[in-house]
Amino acid sequence: MTKKKSFNMVDFKHQKVLIFWAAVITAYGFIFYYLPLVGWVMAFQNYKPVTGLLHSQFVGLEKFKLLFSDVAFLRVIRNTLAMGIINLVVTFVMAIVFAILLNEMASKGGKKVVQTISYLPHFLSWIIVTGILHDALSGTGIINTLLLHFGCISQPINFFAHERYFWPIVAFANVWKETGWNAIIYLAAITSIDPSLYEAAAIDGAGRWEKIKNVTLPGIKPTIMILLLMNVGNVLNAGFEIQYLLGNGLVQNVSQTIDIYVLKWGISQGDYSIGTAAGIFKSVVSIVLIVVFNNIAKRHGEERLF
Amino acid sequence: MKKKIVSAVLCVAMLSTMFAGCGKQNGGVVNKDGIKEFTAFFAVPGSEINDDNEIQQLIAEKTGCKVKESWLTGQTAEEAIGTLIAGGEYPDFVDAGNSSVQMYEAGALVPLDDYIDNYPNIKEFFTEQEWDALRQSDGHIYWIPQFSNIYGEERACVHNDEAFWIQARVLEWAGYPKVETLDEYFDLIESYNEANPTMEDGTENIPYTILCDDWRYFCLENAPQFLDGYPNDGSVIVDPDKLEIIDYNTTPTAKRYFQKLNEEYKKGIVDPESFTQTYDEYIAKISSGRVLGMVDQWWDFAYNGEDAIKAAGLDEQGCQYVPLPITIDKGMKNQWHNSGGVQNVSAGLAITTSCQDVEGALQFIDDLLGQDIHDLRFWGVEGEDYLVDDNGLYYRTPEMRKQASDTAYKASHLCTYSYFPQYIGTSRDGKNAMRAEEQEGEFFDGLSEPIKKCFEAYGVKTYVEMLGTTPAPGSWYPMYTYSSTLTTSTPGGVAWAKMGEIKHQYLPKVVMSEDFEQGWKEYMKVYKECKPEDFISEMQTELDRRMEEAAKYE
Repeated sequence: MTKKKSFNMVDFKHQKVLIFWAAVITAYGFIFYYLPLVGWVMAFQNYKPVTGLLHSQFVGLEKFKLLFSDVAFLRVIRNTLAMGIINLVVTFVMAIVFAILLNEMASKGGKKVVQTISYLPHFLSWIIVTGILHDALSGTGIINTLLLHFGCISQPINFFAHERYFWPIVAFANVWKETGWNAIIYLAAITSIDPSLYEAAAIDGAGRWEKIKNVTLPGIKPTIMILLLMNVGNVLNAGFEIQYLLGNGLVQNVSQTIDIYVLKWGISQGDYSIGTAAGIFKSVVSIVLIVVFNNIAKRHGEERLF
Repeated sequence: MKKKIVSAVLCVAMLSTMFAGCGKQNGGVVNKDGIKEFTAFFAVPGSEINDDNEIQQLIAEKTGCKVKESWLTGQTAEEAIGTLIAGGEYPDFVDAGNSSVQMYEAGALVPLDDYIDNYPNIKEFFTEQEWDALRQSDGHIYWIPQFSNIYGEERACVHNDEAFWIQARVLEWAGYPKVETLDEYFDLIESYNEANPTMEDGTENIPYTILCDDWRYFCLENAPQFLDGYPNDGSVIVDPDKLEIIDYNTTPTAKRYFQKLNEEYKKGIVDPESFTQTYDEYIAKISSGRVLGMVDQWWDFAYNGEDAIKAAGLDEQGCQYVPLPITIDKGMKNQWHNSGGVQNVSAGLAITTSCQDVEGALQFIDDLLGQDIHDLRFWGVEGEDYLVDDNGLYYRTPEMRKQASDTAYKASHLCTYSYFPQYIGTSRDGKNAMRAEEQEGEFFDGLSEPIKKCFEAYGVKTYVEMLGTTPAPGSWYPMYTYSSTLTTSTPGGVAWAKMGEIKHQYLPKVVMSEDFEQGWKEYMKVYKECKPEDFISEMQTELDRRMEEAAKYE
């Protein structure tokens, strides 16, 4: 046991740069993450821009009641959860699989090329990705042309006109855009595994598959757990741009997410209160999810956030 | 040491970009040439002109003012305006479209009625009755509708409204038949497409497409009112005798119209991408000349689609569009075209509370309405963009016409200030039209051969004559100027928003359905759940109010 150190000037001088940056970051966090929370007051008011936060009428939980009696809101919760979970599972698994496969590549140069190409889509904005998707999946697009050519279908499929295609398209787009990027962190984790473990495994007669199963995967397990925890909190951030840009009247029942709902009622229809209420709901659910999953991780003795 | 300097420089650069956004000043800032600069935002898509635009510079020299215009990009009008209101900082001028009332309710607009009397050109823009129609609930006037204001005699050549359009080549092939009903229209398209499935270069035709993107879905949904012989009240039909609101979504005609679309969809005549295409994709199709027919507003496709057809030389193949006087049955009166201007009281050019120099801003609007500036805006520079003959009539050479529809030339030379108040009709000299496209001689000379031939065959001189014209039906007209201001704060507004959502979803479904009767029944069921009666009753109240208001001036 070391004795608890008391504050002393020498330490302070040594660490003054660190302390300075800590202060800056704290101030930044306070201004940009905590101060805007004052706006949450709107959810409990009948907020009108002309009266502002200070003079709008307080209505208690009425806006929340309104929100949860709206069938459309319950539907967007379902859509958000569904797309969030599908995206989480698919992108998560794909990234790990991709990282491991990449790691198994013998050729250094080939590995670099594949890795670079695969993470480039991450830097495209959604508007471009959705543009590409729209073209590729259109009646005369590459997908329909190929399917027609190989005789899988006799009529072009109108992908954006049917509700059943929408979630898979969104999941596919997410995988295409983010797999390479998400794999980077796992690749880094893999490189930090002690090579002697692989040697030991080889001496024990382990093949490739066994090495992956018994060395690589356990080696990156802490990384996987931490990322999983952080991503669970993001489940309700199932996306805004892609659904907004790909959606249309025909599929609106499955395409609209909480974010789109907030935009539509909060900004477009000018009911800022109900928009804020929906936003609060989303944040609260996210926090609950993180705490719950963190506790589960704690109980199982896994890596955790706090 | 060097590193430190570099990082210091970077720090300063970063900080300065952070604060650059805060230093913005509004309203009549005088630049180094002594010219006041204003900003404007219009909640519609539009194209920005170059910073060194020549006519804008000329207008600036004459008026001492210049306005930097910006337009909607990638958002809906409501989102853009909602964001502005939430931010609380505005450009000097704004046209908020359907969200104008929201701007007013947020206290973002400057009341104009106290100023108007000081500006003769603005004062002259409307009659006393028209100005009064613009008063909001607090009795003040906040915006000036810019369009459809006729000075002197009306000169309409182009049908700037909605119609069933058809390419001239289709009519020519069929020997210019009389096409009056929905059935005849689709029969014609079908038989043409069967005989000529491709264009001259071998690309396949798209027989009929429907634009359905966001608010532009009127191309699908509001044709039933016209098919029944009523004018464009937009959101409802008004019975002119009983002065009663009728819902056009549920009329027998509506059902027949959608049934027809359903049949044509199954036959492959309706473009299967209709309901998922974006506006840009639609315009690309129109521009390619492949689309034989569609319902649309002229202004929605003419300035990009038709101009592209002309630029590609497809006009000589008869790919330009002509309107047809379609009704549901034979022998009905059609009201696709109404004469007289329409004052859209629901939106217009407004000045915001962020503007520091309201007088300067109004003076600029006033100057823009003066005849010489108006000519600069809509004709261009004399000698460069138009010539004057011995009788004082303006005309253009074919080269001038061509350059006037050239995108690059528009951006570098022309400046119409297109969302500022403007006139149509006859110029103050009593001879020329207010704008080039309404000058009869100029209009006719500018037509392509196929269109000229088509007009000759039907014995007409203009697009408008293709349809015939009727005066506006009554002093309530048009009702859409009310429905577009509804917000979800009233039951009628909620119903209106829900109806829109349901129609966006179910109308395409109905058209694509295997079993039309079943699909229509489902649609009617969910439609009734939106409580359209709430909406109808609020529209009725407004109709009654407008009739009462109008009675005061008789």
